[in-house]
Amino acid sequence: MNLFRSEEHVERWLAGREPGATIPVTTLADLAVAWWHDRLSPDWRPHTRDQNQAILERVGLSGPFWQLP
Amino acid sequence: MDADELRLRNLTYSLFVELGRAPRPDEVADREGTTVDEVIAGWRRLHDWHAIVLGSTTDALQMANPFSAVPTPHVVEADGRQWYANCAWDAFGICAALQTDGRIETSCRDCGDPIEIEVRDGRPGDASLVFHCLVPAARWWDDITFT
Repeated sequence: MNLFRSEEHVERWLAGREPGATIPVTTLADLAVAWWHDRLSPDWRPHTRDQNQAILERVGLSGPFWQLP
Repeated sequence: MDADELRLRNLTYSLFVELGRAPRPDEVADREGTTVDEVIAGWRRLHDWHAIVLGSTTDALQMANPFSAVPTPHVVEADGRQWYANCAWDAFGICAALQTDGRIETSCRDCGDPIEIEVRDGRPGDASLVFHCLVPAARWWDDITFT
């Protein structure tokens, strides 16, 4: 899970390997806030699978690649 | 996760932030008023819950996501300290968890060029970058260190 200068850099790094998913850094930032914002709260409880799936979908990450087990 | 596991998990995280590094089992035991063996047994259960990650050959903390207990190429300056993140996602996650602005220092995985990002109100200062996730979500925990 890394950052790249552009999609061209991702393609060069993959060097023909099966790609995963490339998303804008702005989407990543939105995902991070939704996923991690409560991590240090004294009221923290483990996210359920459905809660996490809803977070992914809320920031626009849907489809088979983003389906949690 | 039962109440005892939740308390141990929260104490581990709060000590991580208080110390600015991963707490050792004896530090957690001292604060909790318990034994090192009980802390390690609890950490193993939390590892199974995916609430923390222990080393593959030791009972030392490796990750208290989004924080990394070991140096990584993803460095975050936030809340007056320097932190290591497990990945680029977690780098933003440290700012989110601390609920503060910050600065991420990493590099393009392809060309190695340094990447420095200011994070303000959860938003990246440079919106031109992209993030690549190689492993599908269904397999993230198959090998979380690789993921």
